[in-house]
Amino acid sequence: MQTVTLTPIIQSKISIEAETITPDNFAGKTREEIENITIWEGNHKTRLFEFFKIALEGKDSPENTKIIINGSIPRVKRVGEGMTDGMILINGDVDMHVGAKMQGGVITVKGNADSWAGREMKGGEIIIGGDAGYYLGAGYRGESCGMRGGKIIVFGDVKDYAGEHICGGEILIKGSAGLMPGISNNGGIITIEGNTEMPGAEMKKGTIKINGVVETLVPSYKQEDDEEIDGIVYNKYTGDVVAGGKGSLYIKK
Amino acid sequence: MSELLIKNGRVFDPINSINGDIMDIAIKNGKIVDDIPLSPDTKVIDASSMIVMPGGVDAHSHIAGSKVNSGRIMCPNDGRSGIEKRTKITRPCSGYTVPNTFAMGYRYAKLGYTTVFEAAIPILHARHTHEEFGDIPIIDKGGLVLFGSNWQVMEAVRENDIEKLAAYVAWGLSASRGYGVKIVNPGGGEAWGFGKNVSGLHDTVPNFDVTPAEIITGLAKANEMLHLPHSIHLHCNLLGKPGNYKTTIETMKLLEHIKPSMDRQVVHITHLTFNAWGGTNWGDFESKADAVADYLNQHDHVTVDMGQLIFGNATTMTADGPMQYANARLLATKWTNGDVELEDASGVVPLSYIRKMYIHDIMWAVGLEVALLTKNPWQVLLTTDHPNGGPFVNYPEVIALLMSARKREEEMSKLSNKMRDRTTLSGIGRELDWYDIAIKTRASHAKILGLTDHGKGHLGAYADADVTIYHINPDQVDAGREHATVKKAFEKPAYTIKDGKVVAMNGEITATPEGRTFWVNASVPEEDNTRLMKDLRLKFRKYYSINLANYMVQDSYVKHPVVIKAGGS
Repeated sequence: MQTVTLTPIIQSKISIEAETITPDNFAGKTREEIENITIWEGNHKTRLFEFFKIALEGKDSPENTKIIINGSIPRVKRVGEGMTDGMILINGDVDMHVGAKMQGGVITVKGNADSWAGREMKGGEIIIGGDAGYYLGAGYRGESCGMRGGKIIVFGDVKDYAGEHICGGEILIKGSAGLMPGISNNGGIITIEGNTEMPGAEMKKGTIKINGVVETLVPSYKQEDDEEIDGIVYNKYTGDVVAGGKGSLYIKK
Repeated sequence: MSELLIKNGRVFDPINSINGDIMDIAIKNGKIVDDIPLSPDTKVIDASSMIVMPGGVDAHSHIAGSKVNSGRIMCPNDGRSGIEKRTKITRPCSGYTVPNTFAMGYRYAKLGYTTVFEAAIPILHARHTHEEFGDIPIIDKGGLVLFGSNWQVMEAVRENDIEKLAAYVAWGLSASRGYGVKIVNPGGGEAWGFGKNVSGLHDTVPNFDVTPAEIITGLAKANEMLHLPHSIHLHCNLLGKPGNYKTTIETMKLLEHIKPSMDRQVVHITHLTFNAWGGTNWGDFESKADAVADYLNQHDHVTVDMGQLIFGNATTMTADGPMQYANARLLATKWTNGDVELEDASGVVPLSYIRKMYIHDIMWAVGLEVALLTKNPWQVLLTTDHPNGGPFVNYPEVIALLMSARKREEEMSKLSNKMRDRTTLSGIGRELDWYDIAIKTRASHAKILGLTDHGKGHLGAYADADVTIYHINPDQVDAGREHATVKKAFEKPAYTIKDGKVVAMNGEITATPEGRTFWVNASVPEEDNTRLMKDLRLKFRKYYSINLANYMVQDSYVKHPVVIKAGGS
């Protein structure tokens, strides 16, 4: 087991691009090597030790590597991007694009995550203890596929367009979601325990289940017979008819 | 000034009938010269065991203007690919189907191309096109101007006033600093303003009481009356619809009786990949490239280009608004619609061509069939209708396909069986040679554009010193078997020389001069112009959103212009 603990020493006002913070990249490296890993502060190339105090225990492969970030890093983006294995634990908040393109392993955010968490992720798991921003598990601008696999759990609320263009995988939101969760859903599963509005516009495939209140439903859904899942009775709809879709939308009765 | 000698290359220069002779090419002050005395200043490139061709010319590509920019705006994802960092002399590049302006110039130059023509400029948006031209480094440019659904054109055709029509064409070319007459789905762009399309050559355009056939013949007559260097350049009606090969052939027949004003074709019909289709719907969709090629083999007043399909991402962009709407609905994909006031329509739809989807497979075969079944290599130009069939960076792939039946067979084995049944491609054994490729990638392009007299597409004395040297020895490489070697050699020419300067070497840019812009200034009799201006003043007052005085592209927008004079005899 290899454990790397990063403690933030200064908070940059300028956003930091830190796609290099992954178990894949840290595994098997010495403390000095990790300290000298490149990150970008705006357009300025810098190194990890400028922003973090680094402690290292052990030396192991990516699947046995754990990165602990002790504190909030609200301006550090792309943490865990493309990681294939191992663990990242963030004891605080994190900026945008956490776990983007992630393929495996686990990221746990104790605080809030900003927008685009789990963008285009293919596998693995992201657990967010607080709230998440816009475009949770969504696609990049213009792409036709967002999240393709893996799982995201958010214990708080999320903002608009969660799971935009999701093509696979699962999103579970314990709180409420903003506008249009699962817009252009093409095969993903989204469960929202709280309230939301206009879910599943342009949905082609996949499932959206809502246990809270839906203020507005897009009009292009066809109502089916009620269904009972895990002891809860749902109004079932299929659509989005406008997109010729065959997705299922369940809203608690 | 600068002198350059390319020694001992195997030269393929079809316009001067040079077929692989070992020759020296001498360059002085940016021009090819017969000979130069070897002075100590002369730079010598040893091209022994290499192929030397004139710089590539592309007569039909979409490289600049408002619809290319629409493509960029609606495909931010495209900018994620093709990222190249800036170097000391190049700017950063990005994109694949709709690369940024700098990448357009660098990538063409790296591919051995030195002259590229934008195939669709609406006069009203011509300023935008020229601004992008100014940003595209290295290559020489020019543009074809849209006239096919223009109110002034249709009115003159209805009145059968070819003199006034010619005056408008001359004025439109001057207003847009454009080079030739492009016609896209004639009449269809206007009908699209009312949510309709024209259903064929003899359907009437709403409110104008003219037919596409009349628009095409009218513009062809005006084009020849003006002695324009290029013929009319036509995107046929019903493009993108199964069964459209009949309309394509009918369109060619329509122009049989028109006499060209100079030694060239009467019409260039573009991107045959999309309009040599048989069948009545997508179910019985098939290739009719053989029928079109049959016609081409019997008539020499038509030239065409392939518009070859390349599997993978493409961004379709055209002035054919109604076709693009149908496309977007069929594919359930995003779509941009454009309306150019009194002039035309447009549409942009990004899509992916997928192997084993039999419609795409058949389309892939159509372009190749047309090129291989047409006997005269000068009649079919190699293009991908960038980025409609696919991005131009794939030209080496198309070259390899044309030169190797084995490569075609390998590629076909990855495609659907329906493609084999509904095209003739698997029965075609023809393999083009180096000379044919030189024709299809530069000589024929320059010839149909009327640019050979202006120094393009050949290596004769006084031609522009645009030369490409490929790292391949025709004596040692059997293109039929070693198609991968051929493709590699065409992807990274050893040298691209523009105006006597080495601009790219082995896929790296070495210099970034600014290119020129060709445009045609045609004179017309004053009385025709007077009649025209009366009409135009009324149109601008009543309908256009801008003033006549602000319409013309000012000279300050055109960097390094080359003005070609035309006009009645």
